[in-house]
Amino acid sequence: MEAQLLRRPAASCKCLLKPSSSTTSASLPITAIRTKLTASRHRRALNVPPHPSMLLTPSSSADHILFNPPSSAPSVYHTPFKFLPKSDPRRRANLPSLFASSTTINYNPDSTSSSSSTTDLPPVVLEAELKQKTHHLTKEDVEEMRRLREQDPVANTVQNLANKFRCSKLFVMMCCQAPREYRDQKQAQMEAIKNRWGPRRSAAREDRKRRLDMLFRGEL
Amino acid sequence: MKRLRPSRWTGQLLLAGAGSGGRYGCASRRPAQHLVALSSSSSSSIRSQSSAAAAAAAQEEELAYDGTDHERFPPLDRIRPADTSYPSPAPERALQSAKLAALHARLSLSPKIPLQTLARTLVDASADGNPQFNNSNLAFVGQTLINYHVTEWLMVRYPRLPMSIIFSAMQGYAGDKPLHQVARSWGIEPAAAPGGEVDPGLLQFSAHKPGVSLVKFGYKRTEAEYLEKFKWRRGISSRIVFDDDFGQTVKATPGSEAEQSLEQQDGEEGEEGPVPVMQYGNADTRSAAETAHAHAVRATVGAVYAHCGREAVKNFIKSHILSRTLDVSKLFMFKSPTSELATLCAREDFEPPVARLLSETGRASRTPVYVVGIYSGKDKLAEAAGPNLDHARWAAAMNALKAWYLYSPGENVRVPSDMLSEGAKPWEPAHIDIGEVISR
Repeated sequence: MEAQLLRRPAASCKCLLKPSSSTTSASLPITAIRTKLTASRHRRALNVPPHPSMLLTPSSSADHILFNPPSSAPSVYHTPFKFLPKSDPRRRANLPSLFASSTTINYNPDSTSSSSSTTDLPPVVLEAELKQKTHHLTKEDVEEMRRLREQDPVANTVQNLANKFRCSKLFVMMCCQAPREYRDQKQAQMEAIKNRWGPRRSAAREDRKRRLDMLFRGEL
Repeated sequence: MKRLRPSRWTGQLLLAGAGSGGRYGCASRRPAQHLVALSSSSSSSIRSQSSAAAAAAAQEEELAYDGTDHERFPPLDRIRPADTSYPSPAPERALQSAKLAALHARLSLSPKIPLQTLARTLVDASADGNPQFNNSNLAFVGQTLINYHVTEWLMVRYPRLPMSIIFSAMQGYAGDKPLHQVARSWGIEPAAAPGGEVDPGLLQFSAHKPGVSLVKFGYKRTEAEYLEKFKWRRGISSRIVFDDDFGQTVKATPGSEAEQSLEQQDGEEGEEGPVPVMQYGNADTRSAAETAHAHAVRATVGAVYAHCGREAVKNFIKSHILSRTLDVSKLFMFKSPTSELATLCAREDFEPPVARLLSETGRASRTPVYVVGIYSGKDKLAEAAGPNLDHARWAAAMNALKAWYLYSPGENVRVPSDMLSEGAKPWEPAHIDIGEVISR
């Protein structure tokens, strides 16, 4: 049994995993794709060798620690290193983490800290989150924005104003509100659209909302 | 300076057993029909009335003789006829109750706690309105001690919990529902109906007639009636100041409203016809049963404190209430977790949080799974899986916030009340957080 396990080193199973080409980012780390054409070949390929710590090598002593936890979601009771308060003894005891999280100290002299951090990390989900906040709008800009929206809500849509003032749509919506008639008109249009929905579509929409509420309550 | 002897303070709990003498000698038992007139009427008239009632009951007993040979078949429980006229069992009958002795032994209570006190913890204010015979004052002491120890432990164990979560966690450890479960696990059984003739080892409460017992701190808000009517918002600060230990509004004088509503109901029903038998287990009776069970547990804690002292009651609360498992991470609910996390990172001077895709599978399929991690700079704060990118991102942000709020200095943290024991090590200041991330 042991010899059979050792005959198949862990590296040989790498043929199973190929980076996916469907997504835009090239550096997507792990995306498993079925490459075997028949079920038996696929099953054979999926016969993954055990974790190295499970194997008894001659070098390891008779009793050693097996650390091979099953893959599972991390517990929220495990506080990440960054969230530990300054006074916590775990923070002082874990110096490597302290240095690794530091952005000022760089142990790799070849590359700058910023480039290494961008290359090592997985791709971002929302590109907008990487943008630095500029806070470039002044009080006069906001008043101008409100005036434009009040004047002609059809031409000055939220999107147009966001493009014009180089801010987010959320900020535009926080600043100004369309005139009452325009809002009522839009509301009526939306009601007409909703009335055209059949039972399936409205039920699906309700379910979606319910799922979102469940997610925020932590039930999903 | 003289040493205080708390065990001597508990003499009043046994007042009926003491018989006569002392300050409470005049508070002899009286039949149920004279409950209201206690303070005004003199004790002599009460006594004469009760003896007359006893004589009448004895006559009735003779009349009801059904031919049973009492020499051969003695009655199982010898109850004096006068006892049946009391609203709750006489304290001296506690010594004969097997259930009470079993409960005492099952809880491993100290022999310092007499069975009479344990019997008194089982008499709810709705069964016996006399505060010298029901458990309301013991329950008040008990709820104070339980809430103190639970709050103190929560504050030290999870120093960053928001106040609303602390309220819910308090409710989860020391509220009526969990204490009801504790009472059930102790084997406390309710009597079918309260009365002087029932076994003192049964919990006695009336599900239909709420009793008047002050077992809570808190103020009655002047705007209380508008809160429910117009759904006014109650801020957390005002909950701390005005409301009870669980952040719930204090109702008007406890019992009075409920009694009034019951009287009104009775009046209406009386006009219509005979009063229908109330079904067992509607919402009102269930809540009354829950409260009565919880008060019994609180009163037991109060009895342990009164007879055995501070350390014993602390161990008792630790082993029976704090030892219960409550998953605090299930109590959270968020509205916009990403912006709350961004606020937190800005406040703590961390880099702004960025969601990154750790792995995915089945993007083109019906059931894709995305694993998204939230990073602040180079550090991963949390990760979560979801069926689409937004859900996974929000779940990851929620996990990051929970990881922040659920920071704990350790499993076995020292609480301030540990310092009250003799020979305690010097106190190291507990971690106090600077406050909540966003105000609710």
